Amino acid sequence: MTTATTKVWDTLLRDAKERLADAQPYVKEGKVVAAEDAVKLLEAVIRPGDKVNIEGDNQKQADFLAECLCKVDPAKVHDLHMVQSVLSLSSHMDIFEKGIAKKVDFSFSGPQGGRLAEFVNEGKIELGSIHTYLELYGRYYMDLTPRVALCVGYQADKNGNLYTGFNTEDTPVIAEATKFRQGIVIAQVNEIVDELPRIDIPGDWVDFVIQSPKPFYCEPLFTRDPALITDSQILRAMMVIKGIYAEYGIQRLNHGVGFDTAAIELLLPTYGEELGLKGKICNRFILNPHPCLIPAIESGWVESIHSFGGEIGMDKYVKARPDVFFIGPDGDMRSNRCYSQMAGHYAIDCFIGGTLQIDKYGNSSTATATRIAGFGGAPNMGCDAKGRRHATGAWTKCGEEYAMGPELYGDMPRGKRLVVQLQETFREKLAPGFVDQLDAVKLQKTANLDIPPVMIYSDDLTHIVTEEGIAYLHKCGSMAEKMAAIRAVAGFTKVGLEEDPAETEKLREKGIFKTAEDLGVDVSKANRNLLAAKTVHDLVDWSGGLYNPPAKFRNW
Amino acid sequence: MADWKELEAKSFYEATARERAIGMVDEGTWTELAGPKDRLTSPHLPVLGEAVEFDDGVVTGVGLVGKHPVFVASQEGKFIGGAVGEVHGAKIVGAFLLANQVYDKIMAECPDEIEERRPAVVISFETGGVRLHESNAGLLAHAEFMDQIQGSKGKFPVFAVIGSKVGAFGGMGFVAAATDVIIMNTYGRLGLTGPEVIEQEMGKAEFDSADKALVYRTTGARHKYIMRDANYLVEDTIGAFHDCIGEVMDLGYAAIEKMRRIGNEELVDEQLALAELSVELHPKDSRDVWAYYGNENPEQLTEITTAEFLATAKRRP
Amino acid sequence: MALQELTYTFEAANPQPFPVEWMHSGVVGSGDMEVMFTKEDLGGKVNFKIVTPVTGFDEVWSRVLQKFVNESGISDVNVEINDNNATPVVVSMRLRQALQDAKKEA
Repeated sequence: MTTATTKVWDTLLRDAKERLADAQPYVKEGKVVAAEDAVKLLEAVIRPGDKVNIEGDNQKQADFLAECLCKVDPAKVHDLHMVQSVLSLSSHMDIFEKGIAKKVDFSFSGPQGGRLAEFVNEGKIELGSIHTYLELYGRYYMDLTPRVALCVGYQADKNGNLYTGFNTEDTPVIAEATKFRQGIVIAQVNEIVDELPRIDIPGDWVDFVIQSPKPFYCEPLFTRDPALITDSQILRAMMVIKGIYAEYGIQRLNHGVGFDTAAIELLLPTYGEELGLKGKICNRFILNPHPCLIPAIESGWVESIHSFGGEIGMDKYVKARPDVFFIGPDGDMRSNRCYSQMAGHYAIDCFIGGTLQIDKYGNSSTATATRIAGFGGAPNMGCDAKGRRHATGAWTKCGEEYAMGPELYGDMPRGKRLVVQLQETFREKLAPGFVDQLDAVKLQKTANLDIPPVMIYSDDLTHIVTEEGIAYLHKCGSMAEKMAAIRAVAGFTKVGLEEDPAETEKLREKGIFKTAEDLGVDVSKANRNLLAAKTVHDLVDWSGGLYNPPAKFRNW
Repeated sequence: MADWKELEAKSFYEATARERAIGMVDEGTWTELAGPKDRLTSPHLPVLGEAVEFDDGVVTGVGLVGKHPVFVASQEGKFIGGAVGEVHGAKIVGAFLLANQVYDKIMAECPDEIEERRPAVVISFETGGVRLHESNAGLLAHAEFMDQIQGSKGKFPVFAVIGSKVGAFGGMGFVAAATDVIIMNTYGRLGLTGPEVIEQEMGKAEFDSADKALVYRTTGARHKYIMRDANYLVEDTIGAFHDCIGEVMDLGYAAIEKMRRIGNEELVDEQLALAELSVELHPKDSRDVWAYYGNENPEQLTEITTAEFLATAKRRP
Repeated sequence: MALQELTYTFEAANPQPFPVEWMHSGVVGSGDMEVMFTKEDLGGKVNFKIVTPVTGFDEVWSRVLQKFVNESGISDVNVEINDNNATPVVVSMRLRQALQDAKKEA
C-alpha cells in the first residue's frame, strides 16, 4: 500500500537536532557549557511558545538557570509556557514581568503567592492550573511535557552524567519526561568532576551541564526549632498519640511539615514510651529527614523512612543510619519526590498535618484571599486514594467505623485512610481556625480561578484535632452530624459558638467527639518538659554529633 | 524535695525569670520583693495600648547563698524583650539600695564577719536595653545602675549572669560589662548593638543576623570566655549558676575585685592593646582570634560540649 | 489604642473554696498571659478583671471564663489577668495550670 504524501514521523527529533546544532558554538568539552555562556545557550535552544520547566521544589532550586532565563532577549525568547513544581524564587516571577514567559502550570508558589495574584490580576500571567505534585508529574507525561528542562544537581561529569544524591527530589521525573519526548535537558551543578560518587541521571538523558558560580539554593524547610514548640501544640500531640495513633495502631504514616507534627515526633520517646507504644505505632514513615525525628529514631521507634527530598544538615546522620533510610551503593541517601508522593498516596495509613482554615463542613485550605499559593503534595497525602486495594489494621479499622460506607458501597468490607488535620482554634493574632466560608472561595473570585483551591476535602477528612478534643468525622452518618462534630472541636470561634451542648453530649456518647479527659490525657502534663529535645542543640546531642544544623538554627 | 532538685537541674536557658531567681539562692531562702502581689505595673504602657505585667518584667528579691544575703534582679525576656522601663529600672536599683543597707548593717554590727556575710547583687540579664515606650525613664535607669555599680565598689560584688534567650544587649550590655563578675552558660550572648541593628546599619555582608551561628560565635559565651569578657562559663542548669555564685563568694572579696574587666588604668591599657590587636590582626571571624590565641581547631570549639570546651579551649592570656 | 479593662462575675454550680490565699502564675509574653488569684469572701462569686490590648473578644472571654468557673467550681476569689493576645486555649490552659499549682501548694 502506498500513499501520495510521505508522513514525517520524527518532527520532534529533527527539531531537537536543530536546536542542539544551534547550541554547538557554546559547548566546550563533552557536554560542558561555561556559566558565562549559559544565557546564549538558553537563547539557542529555547523557541518562542515552548513549554519550559525550571526545576525546583520546596527545597532545591535550579536558581542559576532561572536567573539566566531572566536575562535572555525577549525578542528571541518569548511566550513561554512554564510547567514546573513551584514558583518560589523572585526570578520565577521576573520572567513573566519581562515578557519572556506568558503562561504557567504549577503546584506550589509559597513566598511568591502574593506577587502571583497581582500578576494574574494585571494580566501579566496566564494561569493554567494549580496541581498537586503527582498530578503535575502525570501531566508531564500527557499534555504538559517540557520541551526544555532546566535541572539541578550536585555534580556532573563531562558526559552529562548527574549526581543529585541526597537531594534527588524531582530530577528523575522531569528529565525522563523531557528527554523521552526528544526535549532538551540542561543541568546546573555545583561542580564538574571526573568521577561521580554514583550516577542518578544517565548522561544520555542530559544535553548540557553547567557549573554554576554558586552552589544551588536549598531551603531547610523541614527543620523546626524545638525551642519554639508551645504547650498547646504539646497538648494536641498527646491527644494524637493517645486518641489516634494508639487507638488505630498507626504504623505507616506521613507527617506534614510544622510545629504540631514536630511536637508529636518529640513526644514519641517520652509520652509514647510511657504509654508502651514503641513498636506498635510509627514504624514506617514517608517524610523528609526531619531533625525532630532524630530522638525517636535513636530510641528505636522507626524501621524505615523514604524521603521526598533531603534536609540540609541531615546528610551525615542519614548516611550513618542505612537500616532506616534509602541509601545508594555509594552510601548516601537518594530522595525521590515522585516515588515518595506515590507511597504517600497509596502505602500509608495516616496523613497528619496542620492547616490554616477549616470550614463548617470540614473542607480545609491554606489559601488566603490575596495569595495564590497551591498545596504541593499535601492533597496527595491528605486524601483517601481510591485505587488502594491492600489492607492493614489501621486502614481496616477506620473503614469499619466509616458510617457513610454502607450508603456508598453497601455492606462490602472496605478500609479507609486516616486523614487528620491538626488545628488551633485561634491562630496567631487571634485569627480563627474555623470559618463559615474558606478564604479560598474569595480567592477564586479575586484571582479568577476555575474552582476554590481546597487542600483537603471534607469527604477525605477523617479526624480533626484541636485543644478541645478530637472529632472522629468518619463516624458521622450525615453531613448534619459531621457539622455538629466540627462545632464541638471549634472551641470559641464563631463556628464553635453555635455548638449545642446537648448535641455535643450525644456525640461524646457515640465516641464521635472526645475531649482530652475522655481520652485520658492529663492536660496539666502538657508542657515542654515532655519534649525529648527542647533545642536544636539537643537534637545534635541525640544524633551523636552527626546532625549538622544550618547556620540559621545554631544558637551556639 | 523533688521540686527543688528539678528546679536546680532545669535548663537556665529555658527557665522563666522567677525560676532563675529562686533557683540561684539556697533552697527555701527566697523572698520576692515588689512582686506581682504589689501590682507595680508600668504607668506608661496602658496609654500606648501595650500589655502590662504585675512585676514589670523583672523579678526582684533576696535569698541566701551560704551566709551571704544575695539580692537578685532577674529579667523576663518574654515580656517586651526584657526591656528596661521606669518601674523595672527602679526595682533593680532597689536591689542595690537594700544590698547597701545590709552591708552597712553588717559593718556596724559585726564587721569581723563581713567576709562570710558579705552581701551581693546578682542580675540575671535578659534584655535588649531601654524600653522604647518609656525611653527617658529607661535611660535614666541605666545611668542609675551604673551609679549603683560604681557605689558598690569596695563594699559588695555585683554579678552579671547571662544565659537566657534574649541575651544582654543595648545599654544593658554596658551595665553587664561594668559588673565585677560575669557568669554565662553556652547560650548566653553579650553585646552592645544587637545583630539585627548592625545588619541594618552596615549591610548583610558585614553581619548577617540570620546566620545564628555567626551571631553566637561573635556575641556568644564561648567567644566571651576565650576573650575573658566573661569570667566563668558554666553548664546550662540553674544549679550550675547557683553553685558558681557560691564558689565565687567563697573566694573572698579581694579575689573578686580582680575579676573586673574595666575600672583601672592597667585594665584600660589591656583593652586598648586589644583594640590595637584587632587592627593588626584584622580578623574576619571570631575563629581567627581563637586561632591566634592558640586554639588549633577553632571550628570545633563551638561543636564540643561545655565540659570539653572548658578542658581544651585556650583563653586570651 | 489604650489598654482595655474587662470585668465579669460568675458563680459556679458546685462552689469549692480556692485552696490558697493567693496564687500568681504565667508570664505576659506575646500570645500569653499572667493570672493572679486572690481569695476574698464574695458570697460564692468569682470576679474577673482582664487587662488586654485586644478588642472585640468580650463574648469569647466571657465564654472561656464561665467554662473555667463551671468546670473547676472555684468560688470566693478575685481573678486578675494581664493578657497579651493569648488565644482561648492558652487562657484555659494557664487558668487550669494555675489552679493545679494552687492545689499543689495547699
